[in-house]
Amino acid sequence: MSSLPEVGAEIPTQVHNPTALDLFMFSASSWLLHRIHYDTPFTTEHEGHPGLLIHGPLQSVYLAQVAEAYLADVARLQSMTYRHLAPAYLGDELECGGIITGANAGAIDVDLWARKSDGTDTTTGKARFDLE
Amino acid sequence: MTPVITEEARAWADREYPEFEFQVTSTDIARFAHATGETNPIHFDRAEAIDAGYTDVVAPTMFPYAIRQHASALVSHDELEPDGSPSADVPPLPTRRAMAGETAMEFGPSIVAGDVITVHKRLADMYEKQGRSGPLVFVEMEFSFTNQRGETVARESFTRIYR
Repeated sequence: MSSLPEVGAEIPTQVHNPTALDLFMFSASSWLLHRIHYDTPFTTEHEGHPGLLIHGPLQSVYLAQVAEAYLADVARLQSMTYRHLAPAYLGDELECGGIITGANAGAIDVDLWARKSDGTDTTTGKARFDLE
Repeated sequence: MTPVITEEARAWADREYPEFEFQVTSTDIARFAHATGETNPIHFDRAEAIDAGYTDVVAPTMFPYAIRQHASALVSHDELEPDGSPSADVPPLPTRRAMAGETAMEFGPSIVAGDVITVHKRLADMYEKQGRSGPLVFVEMEFSFTNQRGETVARESFTRIYR
């Protein structure tokens, strides 16, 4: 994309199907030691989850990536807020997308989400990009 | 009603943690980039990064998360909880069931291999609210990330909710 996006424009979605290997790689690369992301017996028997959890921070990386893929040619990610609304488990498919909510001379604002195939949003966020 | 946040727990508020220094290598950047599915060669190839205007391979935007996670969890085994959480992050509350609240991040100049990032971490605030199923305790953590030139490359604040 080389011209400015219009308010209401939808960002092309990116689909993620993180595997156990992806979860482990994210834990290892960020030294995130929480066992609910790699230790299945602990997670199901002790913590009562149906399976390994997809890290919230990994989902926030997905949100930054889907927005940057669309906007990085014209603008730079300046800030992002996000919150986790529902757990995402190993085996869940996450479709990440967004919509342009503001575009003016200085900045572009984007609403972002990671959504399971049943329609549940697991993580939502708002990002602001500075025009370069 | 008895407050959930005891005096002992309240003493954790406005608490500064020891400064943490993270020496960013091209290996750290490549590892995080592969783990998050990045394919842009500026994260892996120095020549490509220099062509793109950086001084060395550049970290993905969300790399500060990995830095601050090391700042919290790069401790000896006996400073970790049984679930893998760093003990220093867990205030003495009657519950340890935590969920993530809102996170806010701001980004400054890019982080490149060779940078030395100093993390300042602070437990900024702790307060309780009455939820539908009982008391909720909100714990707000703040991080700032400064490079060797004194530039703030990122800030983050996040809230953890105990119930």
